[in-house]
Amino acid sequence: MKRNAVAIVVLALVVAVMIFAGVRSSRGPKVSPMIGNAEPISSAEAKGKQAPDFALQDLQGRQVKLSDFRGKAVLLNFWATFCGPCKVEMPWLVELQKQYGPQGLEIVGVALDDSGKETIEKFAKEMGVNYTILQGQDAVGDAYGAVGLPATYYIDRSGKIIDSALGLVSRSEIEDNIKKSLSENKSEAETANGRAKATS
Amino acid sequence: MKRILFVLIAIALPLFAADSPRIYVSFEGASPSTVTLGKSAEVELHFKVKEGFHVNSNQPKSELLIPTTLKLEPPTDLAAGSITYPPGKDLSFPFDPSEKLNVYSDDFTVTAKMSATKTASPGNFTVHGQLRYQACSDNACYPPKSVPVQFDLQVVNQAKRAHGTTPQNPHIK
Repeated sequence: MKRNAVAIVVLALVVAVMIFAGVRSSRGPKVSPMIGNAEPISSAEAKGKQAPDFALQDLQGRQVKLSDFRGKAVLLNFWATFCGPCKVEMPWLVELQKQYGPQGLEIVGVALDDSGKETIEKFAKEMGVNYTILQGQDAVGDAYGAVGLPATYYIDRSGKIIDSALGLVSRSEIEDNIKKSLSENKSEAETANGRAKATS
Repeated sequence: MKRILFVLIAIALPLFAADSPRIYVSFEGASPSTVTLGKSAEVELHFKVKEGFHVNSNQPKSELLIPTTLKLEPPTDLAAGSITYPPGKDLSFPFDPSEKLNVYSDDFTVTAKMSATKTASPGNFTVHGQLRYQACSDNACYPPKSVPVQFDLQVVNQAKRAHGTTPQNPHIK
């Protein structure tokens, strides 16, 4: 009798785990936007880790990989159209892209938004966005531990995260981190780029 | 057998823990309610927003903002009618002091009109539903979430007549 009860509990647990796993796997698109086997990171411990690579579509429908920007400093900014603090920092990002773009900065905005491509496009146009906007997927936000918005990751030219910020921070803090990401591993990235050019 | 049980629990627990959502709004319960067969009654549902956070009201000031909405799934003998949301508070936040948003913070109450079909059987019914909201703090916003709602509704044959009132219908003594 006691053995039967234990068997029923075990069976119930197995069924529960299977249902749970099924629900998880049925969420979102089947093809993961993540590239490689990078471990998911949490926002708090992102510093010093290699930025997980991903492939997402931009607003023109082109596939863009984070690794396409290797050799440049990347400010990776997770945002959404419903996010008030994100709206505040967007004009700063526009100015900073203008200012630091010629030095090798690439700002990449990943829209974690269910509102659709047209809404994102309209919003970005109204805000005068001059940097790359990608149509985000939850898997990318999860891989970076972006639990809130905006979530910003500063990636140096070698693809390493040098700092991150969850929530709105001051313009000067963003600018300081941009300067750091532009200067860190500059020579290493230039050497790697030179080698790549020589071999091609 | 015990070893298998332990292994299964050890596998299952982290799966559930990893998916446990961050909760910014909690359902605090519903006012006890009774509805007479063929009639309707209003049920008040009480919610609490976590301290330091706010959620958009049902009528936010921009179409880009995600409104707070309640969806109820009553059993077949009951029907959910109109849902009345409280007016939000016009507040500005440190991330943009120049713009006022219409939000709920602290406690708020949503009223749902519930009715029982004439063919319903008297007794207690449980109504399920969910409140969808999108929360922000003073410097960050969070993806939309839903909080489950559940309350009991008692269906009775006829409303109890109050003491001392005179029946209006001559057929009722």
